Amino acid sequence: MKCSDVDRILPEIVDGVAIEGSQELEVKSHLETCPDCSELVSDLKLIVRESRQLVASEEPSPRVWARIAADLRAEGLIREHGVEVARPVLIPAGRRRWNPFWLAPVAAAVLAACAYLLNHKPTQPSASLASQPDVVQQAQTQAAPPPSEQPAGQQAGIQKPAARATTHSAPQLAQRKSLSLPQDSSSQGQAPAQDSTKVATLSQPASDDDSQFLTEVSQRAPTMRATYANQLRAVNNEIRETKAYISRYPGDIDARQHLLEVYEQKAMLYQMALDRIQ
Amino acid sequence: MERLQQTAVVTLALATCLASVALAESRKEYRFNVGPNANISVDTQYGAISVRPGTSSEVVVTAILQSEKTEVDNQQRGNRVEIDSHLFPGADSQTGRVDYELQIPPDATLSLRSSTGPLSAENLKGDLTFEGTDAVVNVHNVSNGHLHVTTIRGPITLSDVSNGHVEISSLSGTVTMTSVTGPFVRASCGRGSIFYDGDFGSGGDYKFTTHSGDIEAVVPGNTSADFSVHSMLGKVHNELDLIPQHSRYAVEEGRSFFGSFGQAASKVVLHSFSGKIRLKQR
Repeated sequence: MKCSDVDRILPEIVDGVAIEGSQELEVKSHLETCPDCSELVSDLKLIVRESRQLVASEEPSPRVWARIAADLRAEGLIREHGVEVARPVLIPAGRRRWNPFWLAPVAAAVLAACAYLLNHKPTQPSASLASQPDVVQQAQTQAAPPPSEQPAGQQAGIQKPAARATTHSAPQLAQRKSLSLPQDSSSQGQAPAQDSTKVATLSQPASDDDSQFLTEVSQRAPTMRATYANQLRAVNNEIRETKAYISRYPGDIDARQHLLEVYEQKAMLYQMALDRIQ
Repeated sequence: MERLQQTAVVTLALATCLASVALAESRKEYRFNVGPNANISVDTQYGAISVRPGTSSEVVVTAILQSEKTEVDNQQRGNRVEIDSHLFPGADSQTGRVDYELQIPPDATLSLRSSTGPLSAENLKGDLTFEGTDAVVNVHNVSNGHLHVTTIRGPITLSDVSNGHVEISSLSGTVTMTSVTGPFVRASCGRGSIFYDGDFGSGGDYKFTTHSGDIEAVVPGNTSADFSVHSMLGKVHNELDLIPQHSRYAVEEGRSFFGSFGQAASKVVLHSFSGKIRLKQR
């Protein structure tokens, strides 16, 4: 006998109605091995037992019941007679399977942050940025990984933004300018610092979410924690690498698109945990 | 004589082991009558799922349970069949394992989920969705439907996939595609590599992206595609005689190239953050 079979005859079990001989043995056997069903049955029996002890004289007036019913109906917690219910839910899903719905808004928040980054164009066109060596130097200092982490040939590529900017055609530059956010000319020199601050602001909640995520995984599926922790670390590294690259090459649309894809992969990791961890 | 005794002992031990395994393992079969375009889903925490086409009106599910610490929940609602492995407390990847073998109508919509896998399907024509953490995914000879595959570490292999909407995503699994064509093909990997061997069809939109994984595409001489290849920090290598095309970027020697091959019927985008990209001619 399975849990779903117990669900079907739960009212009879709770009310103590006689069940067919062989089925009764199966129910008994199942309740001995399934703590979920056993706990549910004992809880329901307790409720039934206690409810019988209610004194009739303490019954509230019909007006009180009507008001409570109206409130419950308004909240959609009870239905009118005649409304067909797809399947009577006797056991809340949460009893059987952990369903961390909080991960869904987290994933959505990650994607929203990502969309912001994707749409947030550089506060300066590449050409003007490249024309200010101090600013370029500042951005590189803030965002560049240690030299040991840079791939071969990276050092030679540091000057690429300027080279790329100068080779762009006029329409391309105009397009980039039209995508740029409105800016105060007095704040132009602060742009890289602002970008870094925004990046830090966006990444901070994700770290908190990651910690909460891993805590939940540890509690619900300890054996999977290492897998998710490693994957999370790796995808966060990818995000950091891509952000650092965008800081250096703010006009690279492919890099922004790539950042979106990396965030999508992180959201996928969360989503799979939501689906899989029980 | 002594040798005969040793053989007998070994045989007895082997038989005992096999018998104990057979006792622990149980095999159950479920049959469901369905109409056209049935919707079938199988969800198991641990275990393999393999699917092949059967008759057009019946779904046959064979479940092989490794212990009594798991059970199979199944339900049918009209044309929808749901199979779900239900673990009891204390079940682990061995005792909670349930392997499934399915025969389904070829046009059915199928959804498979397993953390460990492997997941495999062949000779189907419906929409297919596969999801697995570490699951190896193998899909062979499917057509005319959407194919969505998601894994965290599991490698994904597709072969002879045609005329479908294909979306593949893996964090660190390798994606291998052989003769995969369709109007819309996407493969996205983090650290895994992407290998493609085929002609990119005709009129399709292909985009393969990785973060640090390499991308390699091997195409025949009659390929007809417009290529846009860019690795932000990695190298690119091209063996095709491409006709240069205008692109939104200036070509960075060794990091990007853009061009057409043949009639440029399909659009192919290969992007990587730091992986190498190679475009080869077969």
